Amino acid sequence: MRDWLGRDWLGRDRVGAAALLVGAVGLLAYALIWASPYGLRVLTVAGVYALASFGFQIIFGLGGALSLAQGAFFGLGAYVTGILGSRYGFDASVTFPLSLLAPLLVALPVGLAVLRLDSHYFALATLGVAQVLHLLVVNLPDLTGGANGVPGVPPFALFGWSAPRGLPTAALVWGMVAVGGLIGWRVARGRLGRSLALVRDDPMAAACLGLDVGRLRLMAFALSALYAGAAGALAVHTQRVVSPEVLEFPVMVTILTIAVVGGRGRMVGALLGALLLIHLPEWFRGLERSYLIVYGVALLLVILLAPMGLTGLWTRLFPPPTHRLPAPLEPPAPPALNGERLRAEGVTKDFGGVRALDGVSLRLEAGVIVGLIGPNGSGKTTLINALSGLERLDAGQVRIDGRVMTNARPDRIARAGLARSFQAAILPDDATALAAVAAARLPLDRRVERAEAHARWALERLGVGALAGRLCHGLPAALRRRVELARALARRPSVLLLDEPAAGLTDAEKAELAALLRALAADGVALLVVEHDMEFLLPLADRVLCLDRGRTLYEGAPDGVRRDAGVIAAYLGGVGA
Amino acid sequence: MVTAVQLLVNGLALGAAYALVALGFVLVLNATSAVNFAQGDLVMAGGLLAVALAPLLPSVLPVPGLLLLPLVLVLMAGLGLLLALVAYLPLRRRPPVSVFISTIAVGIILQNGAAVLFGPEPRVAPPLLGDGVARVAGVAVPEQSLAIMAVAALLIGTQHLVFSHTQLGRRLRATAQDPEMARACGVPVTRMILLTFAIGAACAGAAGLLLANRYFMTPTAGGDLILKAYIAVTVGGWGSVPGAVVGALLIALFEVGVSWLLSQPVAQGALYGVLLVILALRPQGLFGEAVRRRA
Repeated sequence: MRDWLGRDWLGRDRVGAAALLVGAVGLLAYALIWASPYGLRVLTVAGVYALASFGFQIIFGLGGALSLAQGAFFGLGAYVTGILGSRYGFDASVTFPLSLLAPLLVALPVGLAVLRLDSHYFALATLGVAQVLHLLVVNLPDLTGGANGVPGVPPFALFGWSAPRGLPTAALVWGMVAVGGLIGWRVARGRLGRSLALVRDDPMAAACLGLDVGRLRLMAFALSALYAGAAGALAVHTQRVVSPEVLEFPVMVTILTIAVVGGRGRMVGALLGALLLIHLPEWFRGLERSYLIVYGVALLLVILLAPMGLTGLWTRLFPPPTHRLPAPLEPPAPPALNGERLRAEGVTKDFGGVRALDGVSLRLEAGVIVGLIGPNGSGKTTLINALSGLERLDAGQVRIDGRVMTNARPDRIARAGLARSFQAAILPDDATALAAVAAARLPLDRRVERAEAHARWALERLGVGALAGRLCHGLPAALRRRVELARALARRPSVLLLDEPAAGLTDAEKAELAALLRALAADGVALLVVEHDMEFLLPLADRVLCLDRGRTLYEGAPDGVRRDAGVIAAYLGGVGA
Repeated sequence: MVTAVQLLVNGLALGAAYALVALGFVLVLNATSAVNFAQGDLVMAGGLLAVALAPLLPSVLPVPGLLLLPLVLVLMAGLGLLLALVAYLPLRRRPPVSVFISTIAVGIILQNGAAVLFGPEPRVAPPLLGDGVARVAGVAVPEQSLAIMAVAALLIGTQHLVFSHTQLGRRLRATAQDPEMARACGVPVTRMILLTFAIGAACAGAAGLLLANRYFMTPTAGGDLILKAYIAVTVGGWGSVPGAVVGALLIALFEVGVSWLLSQPVAQGALYGVLLVILALRPQGLFGEAVRRRA
């Protein structure tokens, strides 16, 4: 289904698109023909919650940050419209934008303060926001009407037209739901959504691929606040009163349950969840005030039994057609420079009382492979972590292409041209090899399609193009390594740090890997390879650096390392040192 | 001067109860690296359990609250086990946020279950010893405040002794530090985690019983209490057990002090403002974070 510009709006999931269309027509028929005025009102409230839940899907479903302020932002938007509309008689041209702005202005400073921290601090901070807003509303009766709230809020009015109760208000709300849902869906499928999913699944890996974790989460949080504010404003126009109840925990619980039951990260899930959960108390009138118990049980059962929610079940029943693979496209190479790309001097790192690195210096040049060896615990991985920004240095300096990058954030270092691999496998299990590699291009390419074309090139380059459509989960070790290497290579780094790339490979696979690494060096990449396997490393490396207890023991030609008394002593345990 | 001492006594009594809440929270956090969001609702459940059980005791007995305490501890420990079986063990291999949500779900069920059973009115549990007020050098010290401090000190002290001086305690600590390694060394990790949940819930229950006399208890009280425990653990350094206790005392003193100077809502708001400043400037807490992320 393409529009006149040839853009594909509904995606390739024809069954899903058809189901959505049938659902929309059914809902329209229900609203126009069968719904009582009360039923129409419940439907309108469901729309309001769907809109608030779209925003929650972006911050929580995609970004993985559990915001407990979505209900509070909803309430804040409601109060802004309520107070300005009933007290000062402003119409929606003033109240609606301000209802979006107020939650945004709260979200930005809170997000800036905590979004770079571990995610449990974010839950705490947002829970605090909710408590404080509720406290303010109850304790500022002159402004907010206190516990009684603000009555007599006018209907949604714009430039002299106003939406009366019933169908017009329902149409207005569901129109906004359509627009908001479409925007959210585009965000989820686009660069922002993909980047957020990567940040959610593995923030450390995302940062090492050059994604600015804090900025991405802040954007998601800001978007979530805008959605909540819009939903709150519409809620007040529907209810015509606003009271502290809109800021209480049940609103938040409802949004959370909608998102989880519907399916985390999916806009359709929010829509489905809102329709279902808002109508649930109506279908079971006996529930009355205990409907929240049912929400709690539903939340618990879904998280235990069907963590991907209703849309997850749907996807399992009707899997969307596999992605059409893009044609490979070579990403632009960095300017071919000779000479020094990375220089580290006097790098020192303490863990408590243990000096893990003690004044290590290192030079990496274009086209040169440096081997890094040393006994277990000698500081090899710590050095890679220090160079890539995951550990703060206690002393020393790191320059990449002449620019000082000491203690810069990992994403800045990555964008300066450094890529690395990890000892442990870090590919996301439920992504295809193509998607996993394309993730590395997200900070560089403007469109997902382009990132995937570049990823295809990287996979082909490493001889695993045929794996593009396979899930990373269940790839054999050797192929996994290749995909990981493709992920590092896709960014066309000028410096590549590899942590035990040959671990678990057969001799034949090691020989292929060595040839690949030589080819990369020939292209002008500066390589640092940590490896225990000397038969693999010594013929490959142009220069070898040996660490022992954080100090440089040997630096020089690979041939010399076998004869060096210090190195032999370090490996054999101190005799004759 | 007398006022200051008075405030100190009130603050310490409140802080002692908060410390029990935070202690239960941080023990479970360390054993599972998951946030137990139901901790506040467990406190509420403990308080209302005491309210419900009180009329069942023969009225001739002299110290109703103290007699209720062991009963509440045992029943709440059982609830903690149930919580672990339903909301933690099935999710232990999933991302930590799953447990966060499952415990939110349990909290919702507890909160609204209590609202159905007890109604929304505030309830009062019997005092531990009596309602009397002792006068010490012009300072009015309610017996209940002294009893709260004594019981909390006793429970926290017992926890500390068990954790630092017994084989069971070593196993619990090993589980908290590194579950994989503990399992490799033959520690029955799953049983230790179940036990930790039981201890955490018992701490919450005790706090509920203590708080429900001086401060009343409503079904929605848990939301505020989980926030306090969370703040105490953040201020004390995420994962630090002594830090959680000290953090709880600090925020209670802050709350009591600012409430006296200005008002209760201002104290709540200011506490949150201070928290945001701490998170922005010193996220590792005042005394440093105890759990370090493994790269």
